Amino acid sequence: MTQTTQVQLGPAEMSEAEELWYAGRWIDRVPQSVSIIVLGAAMLGFWWLIAELEFVSRILLPGPAETFEELWDTTQNIVTGGHIAEGLWITTQEVLVGFLAAAVAGFVLGVIVGETRLGKRAVMPYLVALNALPKVAFAPVFVAWFGFGVNSKIVMALFIAFFPVIVDTAAGLHAVDADSQMLFQSMESSRWQTLRKLKLPSALPFIFAGLKTAAVFSVVGAVVGEYLGGGHGLGELIRLSAQTLRIDRVFALIVYLGILGLILFGVVAWAEKKLLFWHKSEIFEIQGTG
Amino acid sequence: MTESTDRVDRAGQESRPVNDEVARIADLSKTFHRRGLKALDSVNLTLHQGTFTSVIGPSGCGKSTLLKIMAGLIPASSGEVLLHGMPVTGPRQDIGIMFQQPTLLPWRTTLQNVLLPIEIRSGSDAAQARSAEALQLLELVGLEGFDHVHPHELSGGMAQRVAICRMLVTGPAILLLDEPFGALDELTREYMNVELQRICRERDATSFMVTHAIPEAVFLADRVAVMSVRPGRIAELVEVDLPRPRTLDMMTTPEFGALVRRVRHSLDMGTDAGGQA
Repeated sequence: MTQTTQVQLGPAEMSEAEELWYAGRWIDRVPQSVSIIVLGAAMLGFWWLIAELEFVSRILLPGPAETFEELWDTTQNIVTGGHIAEGLWITTQEVLVGFLAAAVAGFVLGVIVGETRLGKRAVMPYLVALNALPKVAFAPVFVAWFGFGVNSKIVMALFIAFFPVIVDTAAGLHAVDADSQMLFQSMESSRWQTLRKLKLPSALPFIFAGLKTAAVFSVVGAVVGEYLGGGHGLGELIRLSAQTLRIDRVFALIVYLGILGLILFGVVAWAEKKLLFWHKSEIFEIQGTG
Repeated sequence: MTESTDRVDRAGQESRPVNDEVARIADLSKTFHRRGLKALDSVNLTLHQGTFTSVIGPSGCGKSTLLKIMAGLIPASSGEVLLHGMPVTGPRQDIGIMFQQPTLLPWRTTLQNVLLPIEIRSGSDAAQARSAEALQLLELVGLEGFDHVHPHELSGGMAQRVAICRMLVTGPAILLLDEPFGALDELTREYMNVELQRICRERDATSFMVTHAIPEAVFLADRVAVMSVRPGRIAELVEVDLPRPRTLDMMTTPEFGALVRRVRHSLDMGTDAGGQA
């Protein structure tokens, strides 16, 4: 009895076939942090090699060293409240307001589309058609309507970001299982009660998926708005840097745009984890408390 | 005590008191016009206080439709269901229902899930006031101490016990069970059947269960209604006179086997007729 247990557990006792089988999964045996760092280092090395061998002009493709130096300068500028800090703050405002507006508008429209027959039959086809348009093409229109200031960028961010929220909210409301709806019907639940106590909470994982997409899209919207509509945000700074062939600065500014998007995404993901303790990802919490 | 003697009396003498009729299905038919499908054709059945009726039939025989009409979830095309003499025209508080899936709300605790029907009908305060009762029900199904646990921490069998409590909390006159343990593994299912029998006996519940497992139908029931397909109608009523409480061991006795064979035979006749038509 004990012998068989040892055979099962001892790696030294593995047969040749078993060893082959496990050998195919070497990546599973490396800690994930190590594989991420190794791959990152490899990509940096590749970048350095391309820049060093000057396959592309050094001006068009600065190497990692110059870029990190520029990133350091940019960081100092931001910390000391220079013009990049101002640009970052403007873009942050555009992204935040655009995202919040997209979240509210997307949620309200999503509930209308997902919950009413009229919404599903009449509103949704228009939204699908509108969503199929290249939304970036509307940027000049928004600049014409809302000027060169932050407003046109906020509208652009809202316009690009709110579709996923609508679609996911509506999909979430439709995904409520038939038995649960029948249960609520059998309890003589009003439509409002069913929406509030069953459908909306059930739809939350979907809604959060839409919000996470919207968080990323709102950054896209704000930057596209700045590319095409001027102003003083990071997008405008990137455009100017690229025009003067300061590609190292472009890279440094893009890093900050990425951080902005990641923080917004992270906040939404954190709120999701707090609110949806009952959904998949809470498995770790159970182990923690138990 | 009095309840059990009552039961013996009832079993002893053949005649039932007239007033122990709980529900009556009278000449019930259902046609789905859009699909041109006659799902139910002149179904008649009377359910007496404290009895367990199993309904079995091939898929598409309309047994789930029948249950939904009894629950007031969909209307009948003709005929009616009377519950305590009152026609069922919509969902009612005195009808308890349970599905194959526990359909617990994962963001609510066990206790909050049990109290949901009260909260929906009478508000949060009323639900709060009935907590003690809900806790007693959890004790009845053997879930003492699980009141503040969320559904994802419960096994499938435990989740269905919570669903039983939620069905019982409004004190329904009739329990409608739609393949209640169909999603559970075989061992849990047998155990839950024994538990369901115990709970029904303790509460003197009048139950109506739809299933497609013959042994389960026979094990739980006082009567098995065998349905035939297209149009759905009750082909035969098989009386199950096995003594109660029934144990899993009984399922190996010749008497049990004979009843299972009889139900199967009746089912085969129904499907054959349907196939030839």
